[in-house]
Amino acid sequence: MKAVGARLPRYDGVAHVTGRTTFVDDVRVPGTLWVKALRSPAHNADIKRLDVSKAEAMEGVRAIITWQDVPLLEYGHLSALGIPADEPLLAKDGVRYKGQPIAVVAADDEVVAQAAVDAIELELVEKPALFDVRKAFDSDAPVVHEWGNWYPHFEEEMDRRQIRKGSIQEAFDKADVIVQGVYRPAAIEHAPVETQVCQVVPEADGRLTIYSCTQALYFSMGVVAAHLQVPLNRLKFVGGTVGGGFGGKVDTATETMCSLLSLKSGKPVKWRWSREEEFLCSSTRAPWHMEIADAVTKDGWILGRKMLTLHDSGAYSRFSPYGLTKHSFHHTGAYTIPHLEFDGYCVYTNRVPTTAMRGFGVTSVSFAAETHMSRIAKELGIDPFEIRLKNANRIGDTSPNGVVYTDPSTVPTILAVADELGHELPADYRTMSSEPRSAEWLPEHLVAQLGNPEDH
Amino acid sequence: MKLAVNGVEHELSSPPLTPLLYVLREELGITSPKAGCQQGGCGSCTVLVGGEPRRSCLLPAAALDGAEITTLEGLGSPEALSPIQTAFHERYAAQCGFCTSGMVLAAHAYLEGGGGSERESIQDALAGHICRCTGYVKIIDAVSAAAGGDITSNQRWLPQPGEEAPVEVPGAPA
Repeated sequence: MKAVGARLPRYDGVAHVTGRTTFVDDVRVPGTLWVKALRSPAHNADIKRLDVSKAEAMEGVRAIITWQDVPLLEYGHLSALGIPADEPLLAKDGVRYKGQPIAVVAADDEVVAQAAVDAIELELVEKPALFDVRKAFDSDAPVVHEWGNWYPHFEEEMDRRQIRKGSIQEAFDKADVIVQGVYRPAAIEHAPVETQVCQVVPEADGRLTIYSCTQALYFSMGVVAAHLQVPLNRLKFVGGTVGGGFGGKVDTATETMCSLLSLKSGKPVKWRWSREEEFLCSSTRAPWHMEIADAVTKDGWILGRKMLTLHDSGAYSRFSPYGLTKHSFHHTGAYTIPHLEFDGYCVYTNRVPTTAMRGFGVTSVSFAAETHMSRIAKELGIDPFEIRLKNANRIGDTSPNGVVYTDPSTVPTILAVADELGHELPADYRTMSSEPRSAEWLPEHLVAQLGNPEDH
Repeated sequence: MKLAVNGVEHELSSPPLTPLLYVLREELGITSPKAGCQQGGCGSCTVLVGGEPRRSCLLPAAALDGAEITTLEGLGSPEALSPIQTAFHERYAAQCGFCTSGMVLAAHAYLEGGGGSERESIQDALAGHICRCTGYVKIIDAVSAAAGGDITSNQRWLPQPGEEAPVEVPGAPA
């Protein structure tokens, strides 16, 4: 326990401040080929013709791969959990977002690789594209995916993430006021200073050494092994040094394609995305559309919440079903609401696929839930701290998905914020704690939902 | 073309319009300058040219014939950190480490130019450098401390041969 409370130097600090840290781009392998990708110039299109023969014949071009070179074309990060994959590694019949990779070239240097990409013959038939999640359900909306415009494979083949708790009708019948709000946080690019990068080295024993900037090394290893249809012991992943990720390097962006190019050319290959590629083609945090209607009493108790969430997954689902699930579990924020009706959809659009970013799925709903708390307080003319403390999670309360809270921290957190801001509170709020609800803090509508923390 | 990098003379074979960044990284194998944006926007490729911080991704090699270049490798070694490196290390100013080379060199030039510990002037000096981990507060703390001489000058950050690390942390690298 010598480390607890001690101020320890960072074990990688000296290497960082002396420029000795070896990031993926700093790995030096003689004879390395450089990689460039042919990416879709259209948001939504059928591929009519793809011909790489002229590019393949160019001097300095060592390998080109298309969908035909991928042993298992469709595999997803969540496939291991039984969640069906919907994204091909390289586009086959059509493209669903601008920037989607169609063919990838390995050549002696980046200039030759780019020239080869430019020489690939591609004919597309463009189709109308869908960008607004709110229009995805219209009968005349462009169809993004073979599965329709929203992900249909939640448990028991439900087409949404659904939560039902208590009796929403009862809550709305008893409410004094219904407070509604719509919240729409935009997409965010992670923009790590180190762009997506990967170096693959074919070893003499047939294994591949893969230097990866991934944040999720074992995920990536499984994804590469599955696409290549090789056992895991054929792959040696070297990771752990990430030049900024923030969630954006959870997706396996480059490793699989570089592995295929390395096997096809028999040479080490490296792919370092340009800043432009990083902005246009790397996954982003999702844009979200959230509608909340709360059944509220005039003294500030929230009896029930109806919520609809449209999660813009972009063209493919990737981790989005998981992000939406986390979102649904947190849709009451740090507060306890006994009657709930939540419906969330992973909606496909012709945008770049979205992924994890810092508090995956939860930051969006925290923003909505907190803004909504302030909106309720304003409509009722109640102090925004008091309404939060009143409805705060307490020991024995249950979360939307039925977890009994044993150590909630909402009350001390809000009291600390009030302290910092010098915000005056009445004595009964000032002395509030996380202890189980009792007396006036245990109104009738909360009695039924309480769990016993000792049972857990 | 000739270039002196960290005190060592090099005869270059790269084409004259090759950006200094690629000369350093690909021809000379000096990798502390990073290819963050390759368009002058992020500051991670910063090196010192005649002591001045410059973006190596925007400088053609031909314009630098005979110049003296300092990269982070030339500032201090792991065994003997320079004052600004010590400040960055002991104040946790490097997070993922990718912007660190440029930050440390710009900060070093700021201090060499007589820059003081005022946060606003440090901000001005580092304005062209992006830390996407958003570790700016600790970075400015470190530069300010170095400017004020508030660093542990005799701290040895690496255990010497035969010496135990000051605190053992299970699972941490030796």
